[in-house]
Amino acid sequence: MSELIEPAARRVLALVPVLIGVSLLVFALTAVGLGDPARAMLGQRADPELVQQIRRDYALDQPVHVRYATWMGRLVRGDLGTSYHQQRPVAEVIAERLPATVHLALAATAVAVVVGLAAGVVAALRPGRLLDHALMTAAVLGISTPVFWLGMMLSLLFAVWLDWLPVSGYGDGAWANLVLPALTLGAIHTGTIARMTRSSLLEVVRQEYIQAARAKGLAEWRVVAKHALRNALIPVVTVIGIGLADLLVGAPLTETVFAWPGLGRMLVAAVGQRDLPVVMGAVLIFAVIYVLANLLVDLAYLVIDPRIGRAR
Amino acid sequence: MRCGRLSLLCLLLLVAGPAHGADGKPAGTLRGVFTADPPTLDPAQATDTTSSAVIRQIFDTLVELDDRLQPGPALAERWTVSPDQRVYTFVLRAGVKFQNGRPMRAADVKFSFERAARGKRPWVFEKISGAPAFIKGQAGAIAGIRVVDERTVELKLDAPFAPFLFLMAYDAASIVPREETERLGLAFATRPVGSGAFRLKEWRRDDRVVLEAFPEHFRGAPGLERVVFRIIPAEITRFNDFKAGNLDVSDIPTGHCRAVKADPSLKGQVAIWPTLGTHAIRFNVEQPPFNDRRMRLAVAHAIDPTGIVDGLLEGCVIAGKGILPPSLPGYNPKVTAPRFNRERARQLLAEAGHPGGRGLPPITYHFNTGDLNQRIAELLQAQLREVGLTLELRRLDWAAHIKVVDEGAVTMFRQGWIADYPDPENFVTVLFHSRNVGAAGNTSRYRNPELDRLLDQADAMPAGPARTKIYQDAEQRLLDDGLWITLYHYASRALIRSTVKGLERSPLSTAPEFLAPLRKVKIE
Repeated sequence: MSELIEPAARRVLALVPVLIGVSLLVFALTAVGLGDPARAMLGQRADPELVQQIRRDYALDQPVHVRYATWMGRLVRGDLGTSYHQQRPVAEVIAERLPATVHLALAATAVAVVVGLAAGVVAALRPGRLLDHALMTAAVLGISTPVFWLGMMLSLLFAVWLDWLPVSGYGDGAWANLVLPALTLGAIHTGTIARMTRSSLLEVVRQEYIQAARAKGLAEWRVVAKHALRNALIPVVTVIGIGLADLLVGAPLTETVFAWPGLGRMLVAAVGQRDLPVVMGAVLIFAVIYVLANLLVDLAYLVIDPRIGRAR
Repeated sequence: MRCGRLSLLCLLLLVAGPAHGADGKPAGTLRGVFTADPPTLDPAQATDTTSSAVIRQIFDTLVELDDRLQPGPALAERWTVSPDQRVYTFVLRAGVKFQNGRPMRAADVKFSFERAARGKRPWVFEKISGAPAFIKGQAGAIAGIRVVDERTVELKLDAPFAPFLFLMAYDAASIVPREETERLGLAFATRPVGSGAFRLKEWRRDDRVVLEAFPEHFRGAPGLERVVFRIIPAEITRFNDFKAGNLDVSDIPTGHCRAVKADPSLKGQVAIWPTLGTHAIRFNVEQPPFNDRRMRLAVAHAIDPTGIVDGLLEGCVIAGKGILPPSLPGYNPKVTAPRFNRERARQLLAEAGHPGGRGLPPITYHFNTGDLNQRIAELLQAQLREVGLTLELRRLDWAAHIKVVDEGAVTMFRQGWIADYPDPENFVTVLFHSRNVGAAGNTSRYRNPELDRLLDQADAMPAGPARTKIYQDAEQRLLDDGLWITLYHYASRALIRSTVKGLERSPLSTAPEFLAPLRKVKIE
């Protein structure tokens, strides 16, 4: 157990400088970026005096370092601030998008893991054969097809023409609403996982201990499932972990095509509105998600191959 | 067996009943759509059309405009205007209830106006005496608002202002219950309480806004039981959802207008009507080269808007010449603007000292993001190249675009303008009076004391031909000076399912975010 706690603690500690660095970077970007949050709030016909008043109210007339210090001071007390546009706590704005994002990310990851692993294993067991080529071509297509286009095509086929599934919307989390966005979003990761599984498995099956297992007369499926796959999974787990983190921070294009109320759309809208507290809050949460995903990957290594922990 | 099936079907139909109740109770659901989540549902804080579209259903105003843009009674059952056009006395209806059950009183009008005057659209109230001082925090109340009795409120203006009734119909002037705003504070924006025909049932951010009928509305229960506004950002998804039968109202995707009109499956469901808006090109007249009138006119003569109107927009907008759109009261059909004439453009360039564009650096054209804006900019670039002008395209997102435009850090730029209310003042004065230079509307940074004087005079005149004539003359003068190049006037392009009855197509409505009162809508 201590083998798990130490790297976990190290990762959590590493979060602090990462968050400070990310927040500094984003704050600097917003400071040099074009556009005034106060002006963006007032629409096309704005009273110049009101613009100035809002700048004062939100301390936008203060130097950047003062604003950053104020924001950090609040953050230390657990306050992400208030959205300029929605006049609600940023934590609330982010929290209400999280369920839809997590829902979609997990479904897309499940699609990617199940289909990608299966395709990779099957391709590795038939290297150079037609099936291998077909699966790897499909994997490359999955990786390279633009998400927007794929989403539109799936929607046209399954929702408009066949009328099997809804065109768009969250539908209170109904599985029918989840299918098309999950397939669309999962396509890239499915391809990546399939290719990684294939190459990793091909490398492992050439190892001597696999030959020995075969020599002992074990069935091929047993050799692959019990001995080869376990060791081939380590790089695949990295891909899955980072892929999950990618999906958890939102997928603006997929969310737009399917009108999915996730974090990606929220962040894009906040950037457009120059809603800086929401942008800062979202980026911080994303950084935490990435660090935690890395941590989970490390912990998964230890579970898959305990020798990694002992080597440390 | 066949007979049994038929009986079952008949029974089901009887149980389901007609789409709206035979007993006059609200029935049926209208499924509309927005392109973005409304940022707020507080009338004092809203600045966008999406928020306004919902606010108009939840709240009422003293006056409301009909589909011919005529002001009619709403919360005010009648009003009088003093002979000097400066005092408006509104008599409120008896028996109006807020959605919390409390009767509305004249004091609510005063409270609502003062609250909104310190909100995001103070200009709606600035004509009321004492409002400017109140807005600046120099007074504790707006002196020009007087509660005469429980049902009468008097509004005194500093000077006559003919469109004042239109302002009273604007959603910023919605009447709110004081106790709810105080109880909820900022949360009033997400849990609004008004007196409108619908109340907020559910708001799932970025997904949907659901309204339900308020049966105690002063006009009686609305025709619909529910209104569901889905939030769908991609126009092609909205179109697919309409085709799949999931929406009753949507817009027509850019570039699909002709195809949609020819689609037999959409027959009788396509609606296109003029709206009070104009897509134009403006110049910053403080900076060279467009501080020279000849340069502005050269560009105006070099542009052929038909390529945009008939080509890019498939004839589904309205070709225009002037600043005022054709459906605006006060529109001048005889207005003239520089016509497409490349020879004249070349001649003007030569007169300005730049024959064939020589000696001119590339001109930067600023526009905000959007595929249509990009394609229009590319077309303009190609057309201006024909007379020797090089256009450099600068595409910025909306927030960045309005900042550089407001600050005058542009030379030539895109301007879209949609009327807040149907009066020429909302175009000519707002967009060209020198007191509005910058963010307030005059982004050309045009300063002409003579024009200011004329506009001040017209703004204070009673509505009528003499007032209209001044705006029309001003419009012609501005066009002759090459200050505004109209590319086209907007039109709402909507898909409306044939079962939807009573949806007004007001020129102030824009698709898909209809501002029309949905209380009149029924689903058949």
